Amino acid sequence: MATALRWTDRLRIERAVWALDQRLYDLPRSSRIAKRREVRESLISASHDIGTAAALQRLGNSRQLAAEYLSAELGDEGRPHWFAAGVFLFTGQLVLTSLLTDAAAAFAAGITTATPDATGTFEWAGIAYLQDTVRYTFVNGEATWVGGAWTPLAWLLWLTATVVVGRLWRVKHMLRLRRNDPARLSAP
Amino acid sequence: MSPSHDPQLLKGVLSLLLLHLLAVQESYGYEVVQRLHELGLDDILEGTVYPALARLEREGRVRSRLVSSNAGPARKYYRPTAEGYDTLSRGTSDWTALAGIVSQVLSAPVPPEPTKGS
Repeated sequence: MATALRWTDRLRIERAVWALDQRLYDLPRSSRIAKRREVRESLISASHDIGTAAALQRLGNSRQLAAEYLSAELGDEGRPHWFAAGVFLFTGQLVLTSLLTDAAAAFAAGITTATPDATGTFEWAGIAYLQDTVRYTFVNGEATWVGGAWTPLAWLLWLTATVVVGRLWRVKHMLRLRRNDPARLSAP
Repeated sequence: MSPSHDPQLLKGVLSLLLLHLLAVQESYGYEVVQRLHELGLDDILEGTVYPALARLEREGRVRSRLVSSNAGPARKYYRPTAEGYDTLSRGTSDWTALAGIVSQVLSAPVPPEPTKGS
């Protein structure tokens, strides 16, 4: 027999849907919305039939359900996003720092080549906006230097790029979804 | 009350059951669960069926469409694709063959349990 839903039942259903949704952030937005809709609709139907408490119990633990949804949609293989992001950040830092250090050294070498006993302060601007100025101080051809660190803007770009690289696996997944069923989200 | 079933056994054939039910009649998630319960498979819960349907959809074996409902939000109806029908056909043959062999083995008489010291 169909049971009318009270506002507290609606709240409990919405809470369950929200708890599930919070664990589905790895899915593309459209897929997450579809899961939310389906689970909400099913919970409402089941609540009418067997009551909200039983419907929620039969749905099970939101953590386990989310894990099954992620596995169902993304496959059972690991999604090494943090690993990929870490490798990108480490390798990128290593390569670029090495290149920029060499470039600064080449600047200093140019000065000592032109003026072997140079004395004074010389500046290399590095990469504009992304790197602090490198300041060489020469005393009779002997150089010391300061600067060359990443600017806050550079760190922001590093962070953005790291997050993007960490999420690249989603592109492969989205392409596979489109290939499998282009009409997947079409309305009747 | 229907007897409980081994979850591992059910998990192995759930996709096949879902494909069969959807081939018989296009259904939405909750309706599929109800139909399974009517067949006596009460131990299959909603939390198992919905991800299984999502998996079949990802694998391209079922497709879905939204149909508006008077009872509330739009419902997502599933039906098998051509690949789904192929999978169902092959899966049914495999299951029938396997079940035949297992039944044959299990129906053979078992000698009485040996008593201690004999």
